[in-house]
Amino acid sequence: MSPQAHDEWIRDFEAAARRPLELRMRYAFIKTYKPVLDDAPYRAFDTMEDYRRFCESLPRWLGYGRAV
Amino acid sequence: MGAPFSYPQAVAIAEALARHGVRFLFLGKSGAILLGFPDTTQDADLFVEKSEDNGRAIVAALVELGFPLDSTQRGEIERGKDFVQIRTGPFDLDLVFAPHGIENFAEAARRAVVVEGMPVCHIDDIIRSKEAAHREKDMESLPRLRAFRDWLRTRPPGRA
Repeated sequence: MSPQAHDEWIRDFEAAARRPLELRMRYAFIKTYKPVLDDAPYRAFDTMEDYRRFCESLPRWLGYGRAV
Repeated sequence: MGAPFSYPQAVAIAEALARHGVRFLFLGKSGAILLGFPDTTQDADLFVEKSEDNGRAIVAALVELGFPLDSTQRGEIERGKDFVQIRTGPFDLDLVFAPHGIENFAEAARRAVVVEGMPVCHIDDIIRSKEAAHREKDMESLPRLRAFRDWLRTRPPGRA
């Protein structure tokens, strides 16, 4: 990461800190359809390992798979 | 798929869970956002203590908030599956009973931060859980989260 990019992050953090939490949350929480993940109304996994196996079955571009 | 999670919903769920005596903490990127991290996410993640009493209290609070849980789902939450995703309520919610990278609820609760009445995992625990989960999306967000943690340390105490 470049020093410029890091400085930009710090400016982002400082700008966010000046906003009330309600406004920050309005910017932060978004809704987009995620295939497979959003196709079931409810899922429960006995273990986190079961959940991880399910994540590996999701479309790769969603980013839920284990990083190499 | 519910509407995006909002501040009034965060307050409502925190109040309902507290009213029912649920032991919980906001976790994940939603927790980081409550701490002030400027980023985007889709759902609310709650780290909840795994016990039958806590599970029963979670169910009571979620039903009160309008989550349509059937008897099977209620039973699973009460028994404490490790991970539960609910997409039929007023907002999308993940219940995490055994997050990666955090040894137990009591330790995380001891380190937690309260933001406007909402208990949130310490930024170190949020980072630890993402490091341990090691998903591609976690790896992408970790450098910025670590920079945020370092920046938070420069802030006066009590200022998220």
